Amino acid sequence: MATVQLINVSKSYDKVETVHDINLNIEDKEFMVLVGPSGCGKSTTLRMIAGLEDITSGQLLIDGRDVTDVAPQKRDIAMVFQSYALYPHMTAYNNMAFGLRKTTTLAKSEIDRRVREAAEILHITDLLERRPKALSGGERQRVAIGRALVRQPKVFLFDEPLSNLDAKLRNRMRGELKRLHQELGLTVIYVTHDQIEAMTLGTRVATMSKGHLQQVGAPMDIYMNPANTFVATFIGSPEMSLVHCRAGAGGLIGHPSFNAEIQTGQPLAGDVILGVRPEEFSFSARGMARGRVERAELIGAEAIVEVMLDKDRITVRSPVSDAPKPGSDVGVNFDMRRARLFDARNGQAIASGI
Amino acid sequence: MSDVAIPAAAAPVAARRENRRRGGIRWLHLLMAPLALLWMSPLIWIVLTSLKTKAEVFDPNAGLFPAVFQFGNYPATLTVAPFDTYLINSIIVTGSILASQLVTITLAAYAFARLEFPLKKLLFSLFLLQVMFPIYATFLTNFVTVRELGLINSLPAMIVPFVASGYGTFMLRQSFRQVPSDLSDAARLDGCGHLATLWHVYLPLVKPTLIAFGIISVVTHWNDYMWPLLVTNSDGVRTLPIGLGLLAKADSGADWTRLMAGTMIVVSPLLLFFVIFQRRFVDSFMHTGVK
Repeated sequence: MATVQLINVSKSYDKVETVHDINLNIEDKEFMVLVGPSGCGKSTTLRMIAGLEDITSGQLLIDGRDVTDVAPQKRDIAMVFQSYALYPHMTAYNNMAFGLRKTTTLAKSEIDRRVREAAEILHITDLLERRPKALSGGERQRVAIGRALVRQPKVFLFDEPLSNLDAKLRNRMRGELKRLHQELGLTVIYVTHDQIEAMTLGTRVATMSKGHLQQVGAPMDIYMNPANTFVATFIGSPEMSLVHCRAGAGGLIGHPSFNAEIQTGQPLAGDVILGVRPEEFSFSARGMARGRVERAELIGAEAIVEVMLDKDRITVRSPVSDAPKPGSDVGVNFDMRRARLFDARNGQAIASGI
Repeated sequence: MSDVAIPAAAAPVAARRENRRRGGIRWLHLLMAPLALLWMSPLIWIVLTSLKTKAEVFDPNAGLFPAVFQFGNYPATLTVAPFDTYLINSIIVTGSILASQLVTITLAAYAFARLEFPLKKLLFSLFLLQVMFPIYATFLTNFVTVRELGLINSLPAMIVPFVASGYGTFMLRQSFRQVPSDLSDAARLDGCGHLATLWHVYLPLVKPTLIAFGIISVVTHWNDYMWPLLVTNSDGVRTLPIGLGLLAKADSGADWTRLMAGTMIVVSPLLLFFVIFQRRFVDSFMHTGVK
């Protein structure tokens, strides 16, 4: 069993609060992804869990034990850094064994057994005698993960571990991490700014912005039902289109480009934002809204088309054969069963699945 | 020629290119050889003079080379002054300075590079200021301090003023700051405190800087003349350069053959040291950009 609980955790530098009041429970064997744009406080949060940064206020429990003020090496965690942080003067083997020698009283043979076992799992047995300089990016990454594995910690912390790899390798390592998580039953907290990593790796995703936790949930849940406009636009690529509408009586909304008002099926107070994902639009000659095509990108299997609906720019995913030419007037249909509404004043979701 | 298979038609071209490249290197040698000779000439002069007779040194008709190699000058020099004692003293002084400097600059540089403490900036500025002062400016105060400590005319008198080095601290601090902070974070997670991090992570990574500093320190203090001259007045504690100086100022006027033999005795340990570790030295200086 290994659970992590953050209770009202905050972080201030020189009296300026950068991480605000985070409450988060990470279950045993869960792959929790902290995702957000750079500067949102996700790395700071991870470093607080690791013990590399002090927790200004709040409590951190690992497996029910209060470790708020415990030294990093006594928290039973291991961390993989973005830069890998392998010791350049040590071989891969020694990089992996170093922490065990320092923090445990294990016999040499046991350390050797663990290093070789981890190397086996990560397919780096042949590389153990090499120094980091003689390893490729992907190989260094494996050694860095191996260094965490041999510690057999309760919790694994990953700080953007894939961002220094090229796209193809990143894809492969993503699969590898997923495999390790499932086969070894690890509890993982993983920080990334890449929403695709968040979607594919996480069993749950915690979205952060400006030091606040925005939404926690299963990837598809967050994708379909974002709690606010920030999460809505951050998760998903191309991002969700936001159409600013004025609310009328009886749940009707109107927009300069709509032919008629749309029935939302629920009473509305004040103006609203209609959030629609690119795949929830479709082109149709008799579409309910009319707009002018700004840009059309053919990216192979599909086309990404940007259309101006009055002052709102929407992004439409369409088959290449249907893609209209830039400058043309088009009709657009919305999948109103999936579109969601946000309060125009604070960006919070009003209700999902209209 | 390499034994890599080259297509027949390409072979002459490749050979010609190879020749031209080698020719270039030969030209370079032609240029470098006189320079090397120029650099070596004082040393060669010293060696030759140390093997001449006293008369030959001033005889305008004598050749560059001594008629008979007077190897006897060396043992004769050793009898004029206790060079063995000087040598041991020099080794003790230089060695102690280097050893204590390595300890003090490492700890100070780590503190300046990675720790936060009050007045850090001011303290570091003072360290830098010390580098900028000519060493002679501090001679008087140092002398008074050493005398108050009752150390005049002893080996510690030549060691104590140099156990720390502003220059070394500065050099090492710069190197420490180059070490990625992720590495020290990783070391912390691996269970290292400050000293263990310093020992296992920082020091191995700044080895070139340490070597470069070591060379500068050893050469400076091995050859140091002024300070040891000020604080010593008996044979038992003198170092090699002082002994050599005494030889030059012998009452009867300088005895050139013995003086040159003595000079050889003084510089040979350093020369030997350099020849053995040449590759390492050059690498270190290239690496740290110290000249």
